[in-house]
Amino acid sequence: MVEGTPAAANRVLLVLGLALLAALLGLDLASVAPNRILPGEGVSPWGWLGPGAVPLLAFPLLLMALAWRGSIRALILARALVVVALVLLPWGLAAFAADRVTGSQARVTLGAGFWTLLFVLLMIWVELQARLKGGIWLTLLPLLSLALALAGGHLESLALMREYASRSGAFHEALRYHLLLVSAAVGLSLLLAFALALAMRRFPRLRRGGFALLSLIQTIPSLALFGLLLAPLAWLAARYAWLGELGVQGIGWAPALIALVGYSLLPMTRNSVVALDGVDPGVVEAARGMGMSPAQVFWRVRLPLAAPVILEGIRITTVQAVGLAAVAALIGAGGLGTFIFQGLGQAAMDLVLLGALPILALAVAADSLLSALARLTRPQLRREVQ
Amino acid sequence: MSETPRIALKGVTKRFGAEAAVDAITLNIAPGEFCVLVGTSGCGKSTTLRMINRLIEHSDGEIHIDGRPIREIDPQRLRRRIGYAIQSTGLFPHWTVARNIALVPGLLRWPRARIRERVEELMTLLGLAPAEFADKYPAQLSGGQAQRVGVARALAADPEILLMDEPFGALDPITRESLQEELRRLQGRIRKTIVFVTHDMDEALKLADRLVVMRAGRIVQQGSPDELLAAPADDFVTSLLGGRDRGLKRAALTPVARVMRPVDARLPVEPAVSPDEDLRLALSVMLWHRVETLAVVDKAGRVCGSLHLMDLLGETP
Repeated sequence: MVEGTPAAANRVLLVLGLALLAALLGLDLASVAPNRILPGEGVSPWGWLGPGAVPLLAFPLLLMALAWRGSIRALILARALVVVALVLLPWGLAAFAADRVTGSQARVTLGAGFWTLLFVLLMIWVELQARLKGGIWLTLLPLLSLALALAGGHLESLALMREYASRSGAFHEALRYHLLLVSAAVGLSLLLAFALALAMRRFPRLRRGGFALLSLIQTIPSLALFGLLLAPLAWLAARYAWLGELGVQGIGWAPALIALVGYSLLPMTRNSVVALDGVDPGVVEAARGMGMSPAQVFWRVRLPLAAPVILEGIRITTVQAVGLAAVAALIGAGGLGTFIFQGLGQAAMDLVLLGALPILALAVAADSLLSALARLTRPQLRREVQ
Repeated sequence: MSETPRIALKGVTKRFGAEAAVDAITLNIAPGEFCVLVGTSGCGKSTTLRMINRLIEHSDGEIHIDGRPIREIDPQRLRRRIGYAIQSTGLFPHWTVARNIALVPGLLRWPRARIRERVEELMTLLGLAPAEFADKYPAQLSGGQAQRVGVARALAADPEILLMDEPFGALDPITRESLQEELRRLQGRIRKTIVFVTHDMDEALKLADRLVVMRAGRIVQQGSPDELLAAPADDFVTSLLGGRDRGLKRAALTPVARVMRPVDARLPVEPAVSPDEDLRLALSVMLWHRVETLAVVDKAGRVCGSLHLMDLLGETP
């Protein structure tokens, strides 16, 4: 227990505080460019505020002082400080933009200093969450602040938002398509994997061959797999007209979906098999001995007890599919990856971010949602902890 | 025995491949009898038990329940009529205690109110306060509590027969002993036909009306605990019964009340034993206090008899 031990300085926090200080002192927070083509001019806190930036240094110094104390109370204060900083961050950017940006084409590109700041703040947050109990809801405050700043139009002159504004229609379409592709792949592979897992349990000889094949698919690089699918799918579409009418081609959603399902099958099948095998044989024996039918044993006992591990498989698969679907943009499957590859082609990093940040957010959201769901499926364990 | 045995095994054999795990055993168990199968591990006692509710199908011979061959009964229906408790309890970890106990009545589609009533009745019978335990999950119970729930679940649909496969095997000695006591008391009230498997001879001696000693798939000897202690069939049974230690084991089967003398006014009230304690304990008390006579004092604190060292010898030849 933390309460009982005498407070020692938190070294992790001290180092992170130093990093914050260095980022504020040495790096450009953002740059301002007159339009999309011309390179921007970097601005550090000193370049923007001059001597007025000195109070900013109070933040890392205060944080390091609290880290030095290291008591629970100091850490709680530090967490409050970090939340405040994260909440203020979008508004600081808005103020900077309002001050520096002139003209409808001028834009603010986030610089190394900003990203370092954000990254270190999140690291501090993780460190503090590991030391302190509760406070998960505090995460909502920075998100809320960001949402308010966005909704109020205060961040319009960010290059990222400019890119978004000029292709918001395409963005929403890509987001929708990305979600559709991922959910179709996860849903389909869940059905297939579950059927496969049941078959493997019934016919143990299927196991070795099945898993070998699935592992083999897993080792093929995604681009190579798309390439491998191109010819057969094109041939199938040409041969059977109804497939072509469905939209099956050598490129597009069909190979993307097949590849995503292929990659999803291994984690999904393995988790399902392990989960169903892992149910305590004593419990199953008792269930049979009490006179439950095989179907009742499966639906009422084996499946509910296996559910948390199966859900874990769905979680892994979903997060993986969210990322892989980005690559599918290369074969014309659409989705958020489109912006990443366009941006790379045009050397427009903000366009890359327009694709990458939502993918990141989707992955994190899917991860936390499905973890929460997995926790809900084992109430007896949750209670035991209390 | 004039009445039909509740459970009858006639030349029952179970082969796994070429090997016979149970080899042509014949056994009749009367209604209300507490029958304990005892033997070293791998002797076929568990297999025998599991053949009775068709978790394992017998290869040869016949098993009858109330005179009817069990092969004629649908296995699921058969099992719902037979209580079953096992060592690991097999409680469903995702169900509450109340729901676990209600399992078989639920399968039999009892009305909900009757199930609730029955669950409360059983929890009270087994010393689990319904208000405290009904909504707990198995992971929140101690080993002893979980095993009580296991027994309650086995009794839920009021079966005539109860099969118990080393139900107390995983418990600490103190919990195990108190559950044995309770099971014996419970059996005095409910009079089920119980088939109980154990490798613990002390447990077997304490619980059994009829003791069945098994070895390598065969029955070596069967009879009441007293009969077996008096005349073990061979060296195997003798060693299983504790060898030269079996004098004490036999003394442990006889209550003080059976051999005590009338009240002896000259005796001090201390040291004393109670009439339902056993002779082994009385001997221990004598050894401890270095006396040859003890007062017998009942629960109400009244002196109701006396016990001499000679009395112990009279009952234990």
